[in-house]
Amino acid sequence: MSAAARPIAGSSVRAVAWRRRSARRALTFYAFLSPWLVGFALLTALPLAVALLMSFTDYDGFNLDRVGFVGLENYTRALADPDAQHALQRTLILMVTVVPIGVGVQLALALLLDQRLRFSGLLRTIFYLPHVIPVVGGAWVWKLFTDPNGGLLNAIIGIFSPDTYIRWLVEYPTVVLSVFVIWAAAGGGMVIFLAGLQGIPTEYREAAMIDGASPWQVTRFVTLPLLSPVIFFQVVVGVIATLQILQQPILLTPGITGISPGTVPPRDNYVFVGHAYNAIFVNHLFGYGAALLWILFALVLLLTLVLFRTSGRWVFYGVQQ
Amino acid sequence: MLALAAIFSLPVVWVLITSIKKQSEYAASPIVLFPAVPQWINYQLAVTMADFPKYATNSVFLSSAYTILVVITSALVGFGFARHRGPGRDRLFLLVIGTMMLPTLVLFVPQFVMFARLDLTNSYWPWILWGLAASPYHVFLFRQFFAAFPRELEDAAEVDGCGPLRVFLQIFIPNAGPALAASAIFAFLWVWGDYLYPILLLNDQNTTLAVKLAKAYVDPRGNPLQTITMAGIVLYVLPLVALFFAAQRYIVRGVVTTGLKG
Repeated sequence: MSAAARPIAGSSVRAVAWRRRSARRALTFYAFLSPWLVGFALLTALPLAVALLMSFTDYDGFNLDRVGFVGLENYTRALADPDAQHALQRTLILMVTVVPIGVGVQLALALLLDQRLRFSGLLRTIFYLPHVIPVVGGAWVWKLFTDPNGGLLNAIIGIFSPDTYIRWLVEYPTVVLSVFVIWAAAGGGMVIFLAGLQGIPTEYREAAMIDGASPWQVTRFVTLPLLSPVIFFQVVVGVIATLQILQQPILLTPGITGISPGTVPPRDNYVFVGHAYNAIFVNHLFGYGAALLWILFALVLLLTLVLFRTSGRWVFYGVQQ
Repeated sequence: MLALAAIFSLPVVWVLITSIKKQSEYAASPIVLFPAVPQWINYQLAVTMADFPKYATNSVFLSSAYTILVVITSALVGFGFARHRGPGRDRLFLLVIGTMMLPTLVLFVPQFVMFARLDLTNSYWPWILWGLAASPYHVFLFRQFFAAFPRELEDAAEVDGCGPLRVFLQIFIPNAGPALAASAIFAFLWVWGDYLYPILLLNDQNTTLAVKLAKAYVDPRGNPLQTITMAGIVLYVLPLVALFFAAQRYIVRGVVTTGLKG
């Protein structure tokens, strides 16, 4: 009896000790996480609940004591709002131009710099520099460059057709905005693609070259497929960022001074988040603005999901980096 | 390649040139490519007209306070996710990544309402709270960085009787230079470059350079002075560019850690 009881007693002591140790381990884990756990509860979960509630009310920033629930009215209004439709259309146009061209430029820069040309260090610095310039500075750079008075762009075009006077920010605001966004993001993406290129074993490319592939064929059939996970990542990040664009169109609004919370960009650069921003911070329609933002979130999720679902057709995960 | 480099750098070079022109040279038609006499006084005017020292101090203070807090908290949380186990770890980490996908305004609008109710607008408290709460991007960066450390390091320290916090402070932190540098510079750049939150949360006295520079330089009749504005912009951007290139290697590693292994 006692001989049989001993191992049981021993193992239960061990079990208690083990349980105590795993409880202490869990406690250590949560202790390290505590800043984020508290922060998430108070600055993410709670605000999200507030934002969701808000979107069903007529809250205007002042009427908290007599706020009324309006059901789905904000959402039905958003779907019928011609300004919201216009803003959504402008945002989607921006997305389908900026994301492919932007990722293409990043990829091209990385492929070119990977060739180890002369001055590649200097060139990398030049391409990376815009990524370091804060958005306020970058907006000024392009405002000045496209300025009809002291801008260099009209002067350069003027060499070929004299007396050029194009008010770029008024006549072609979306072109300037797209170029600005592509220019600012190029360096960051380039660095990520360069790292991806360095992760590809040189043997693959050498083997293809020995088999008689041209440099273009090596790029097209060896390098690009192996880079496709990175391309996919950049496309997803680009789509999410472009759908949420707000500061750049506001800062590119023509006129140098008077940028205030009420600055409204030209009609062509009137983006979706800008419309929500106006609803909330200019017109004090907090409930309506919140509904607009939830619609945007749904759209972001939907597009990301579609990208992931279709990625199997062109993203190649065969080789671990 | 050189043409591309020109397209990328010309707009920036043009800002530098314009910053030392006379205002009359800026507005001249046909265009004046180079100033007859470099107007270095523009830089002096940029400093005095905008009360540059005051707003630069605001920017430095706010950026540093947020940076110090967010790097400490995010390193702790990232370390917890990378090196410790507890129920629900993977789901919690998924929540961290999910937060990164939320449109910023969806979070900011209710936060703004809450800050206003608590009387925290017109102060630096929102940035302090954001710093204390850790940032998903930085947590992600540290988690990826710490996950790559060899297991033996901790085991040896634990055998020697080191508690988890000492393992973190004495073994992981001294070896986390690149992650700390990248995280600190990203955090600093975010506050230094941000325009939206200061304009919504702060007033004309305690706001940052980014906001002040947008409307500080006008002549007595309210006309914008582009040349002095450009000098101000150069002074505003230059410290950051210097910081970035001083720590270039770390940043590239930071970008790659967050960008690729996800």
